Amino acid sequence: MKKKLVSALMAATMVTGLLAGCGSSETTEAPAQTETATEEKTEEKVGAEIEVKAEAVENVQVEGDFADADLTVFIFAQEHEKAVYQTLIDKFTESTGAKVTFEVTTSDEYGQKLLAYKAADDMPDIFYVGPEAVASNVDDDYLLPLDDYMDTAVVDNLWGSVGNAYRYDGKVAGSGSGSLYCLPKDFSTFAFAYNKDLFDAAGLEYPDPENPYTWEEFVEVCEKLTIDKDGDGEVDQWGVANALQWALDSFIYTNGGHFLNEDYTKVVIDGQEEFVDALQFFADLTCKYHVTPTVEQDTALGGYQRWLDGQIGFYACGTWDVGAFMDKNTFPYQWGLCGWPTGKTGVSMTRNGSVGFAVSKDTEYPEAAVALITMLSTDLEGQRVLSGETTGASLQIPNIMDYAKGDFKDRIADGTIPYGDNVDVIFNYIEGTDKYQGIFVETNYTYNADWWNEFLSGGYEYVLTGEKTAAEYCAEVQPAMQAALDAANEMKAAAQ
Amino acid sequence: MAKREERWALLFVAAPIVGFLLFMAWPIVFAFLTSLTTWNGSKGFAGMMKRFCGFDNYIKLFQDGKFWQTLCTTVIYLIGIPIGMVLGLLFAMGMNRKIPGVRVLRTMYYVPVISSLVAVSILWAWVYNYDYGLLNVIIKALTGRHGPNWLGDEALIKVSMIIFMVWKGLGTSIILYLAGLQNIPRNYYEAAMVDGANRWQQFRAITVPLLSPVTFYILITSMIGGFQVFVEVQVMTSNGGIGYSAATIVYYLYQKAFESFQLGYASAIAVILAVIIFIITLINFKVQSKWVKTMD
Repeated sequence: MKKKLVSALMAATMVTGLLAGCGSSETTEAPAQTETATEEKTEEKVGAEIEVKAEAVENVQVEGDFADADLTVFIFAQEHEKAVYQTLIDKFTESTGAKVTFEVTTSDEYGQKLLAYKAADDMPDIFYVGPEAVASNVDDDYLLPLDDYMDTAVVDNLWGSVGNAYRYDGKVAGSGSGSLYCLPKDFSTFAFAYNKDLFDAAGLEYPDPENPYTWEEFVEVCEKLTIDKDGDGEVDQWGVANALQWALDSFIYTNGGHFLNEDYTKVVIDGQEEFVDALQFFADLTCKYHVTPTVEQDTALGGYQRWLDGQIGFYACGTWDVGAFMDKNTFPYQWGLCGWPTGKTGVSMTRNGSVGFAVSKDTEYPEAAVALITMLSTDLEGQRVLSGETTGASLQIPNIMDYAKGDFKDRIADGTIPYGDNVDVIFNYIEGTDKYQGIFVETNYTYNADWWNEFLSGGYEYVLTGEKTAAEYCAEVQPAMQAALDAANEMKAAAQ
Repeated sequence: MAKREERWALLFVAAPIVGFLLFMAWPIVFAFLTSLTTWNGSKGFAGMMKRFCGFDNYIKLFQDGKFWQTLCTTVIYLIGIPIGMVLGLLFAMGMNRKIPGVRVLRTMYYVPVISSLVAVSILWAWVYNYDYGLLNVIIKALTGRHGPNWLGDEALIKVSMIIFMVWKGLGTSIILYLAGLQNIPRNYYEAAMVDGANRWQQFRAITVPLLSPVTFYILITSMIGGFQVFVEVQVMTSNGGIGYSAATIVYYLYQKAFESFQLGYASAIAVILAVIIFIITLINFKVQSKWVKTMD
């Protein structure tokens, strides 16, 4: 009888264990993954709420007769983007007679599916390529130079730096020389946002968008925003939340630091004062000043969720985040944009980003393909939809510079496009001023990003916890980063 | 007539042979060929053969710290196999009795096995959550202290993964051991009792030896599966865990193949992994005659 009882108890214990994991939680994502996919998550939330009306593209004019053309377009997109592009493609088909097969996947699966196309040597006519992949795709003979197929006036009206990002001269991509290989699907920047309600509650003045904080000023403000609101002895509101994967750049570059040497062949972080100091300051925000959630708290709940929950004073804001942050169901707070704090250079820095429409070099219909990507990238009506003028939720800054600086800003001013305060911060980063500069980070100029992945997987968390200094970590991780960079350069040489 | 039957027979035999050649033999040969190149997936088979590099990938692999680190982590995870086997046997013996609701319990223990690995990995990531996880809530309730950062510490993350893997695989061990236990004739135990053997002696002399074929089967399949752990790491950790401490060999292979597009290097890892699994399985089969007993 006793043994039966023990057996039953053991069994019951296991059943309890099994059921115990089924408790409810506020979100459905694995906690370890919460910091890594901010962009995708945001777009998912916003995407479901946007409708695209066919009338939005009524005025689109496409010239050309491509009745013989049979094009395949392969991209990744959220539902709202897919709807916009499908509407534009339908218009293209109707106007030119071309047949277009439109295949859409998720951003997570895009790389693998494109790899399958490449391995099968059966490329779609049009596909996405980011600035970081232009060199490898051109070296592998996949991309059609666009210069001979399009009106250069179209390129002239795009943001200068994004046009340069898609040029490649066979040596370094993104330097602005050589042929143009893509037209941008978008041009994004990673600005900094602050929660106005938390500033009001703390009696603090809002950040001045004309003069970004210095690091010292930033720490001072963050310390005032870091508080134990319910008096239980534990901090439950922090000045800032950063994930090193996307926030470190702003601290490194504003301090004059860099990962690689000028020709992108050597990793130079070990002993580089500007870099080491910036990494140490980044870590000190957590382990010395305690103005961010701890490493443990960050693994429990990522900074993005804490920001949405009103626990964070400052948080990064990509141009794709604006729609979500303006949705009161997602983020019920007032907010504004400001610059990332400045280090030695005195210039607030951040990373720009983009994805481009490329045409396969093997396409049988280059004219039709270039006409279609020109429409998708630069059609004014399509840009009005994607930038939020006709939907009320902005997901990107318009590619067309004239429109972005004119109507787009006017619609923000008159409230047609809901936006946080100080939209000029975004334009400052995109255009560059004496106090703001957005850049394409160094992974864009190397054959792959393996050297950066080595930095991320070397145990940088120990710097954030204070168990290692930034100098020690840089010395430790640099050899592995260099080996990865060497391997990338060997791959580049083999491809050429 | 006989020839016609033979032709039909050959046709039936041909189906699995063609399937094997197409979906097993050719991919194995292709993977080996790929491992001799620096192929990044471009321009199909012709593009691959243009990037022939001999055994360079293998030479680099043996000098690659991350390869050894992830191989070591994979081997550490194998600790879960004997733990799971012992627990599986204990639970199977517990449930090999007439206790109320035992059928329901047997079914429930098997639920993790048939559940989606991705789904239960997400669930356990929450169980291990530092602030909100069930485990730390219980620890705090019992001790008044905050529990550890299960997925944020180089040693604990391995322990956490092993616990999860044992939980996930326990149902299989229980079912197999249960079947093995029910296959042992009662009269063996009755004869032993007549000879004065106590429960422990019966367990050691009858149960354990006669379950050894089941134990061998579980050991072999678990070891092969253990070397191929991937999904748990991908779902429960961010970039392989702190300092890559939770990353397994297959996780590293995946990153090399589908994030860095170094298909040649990744194939070299796959070939080495296959060789390791083959050698270990071979050793297991060689030594089984020394400890695997049957009722014959």
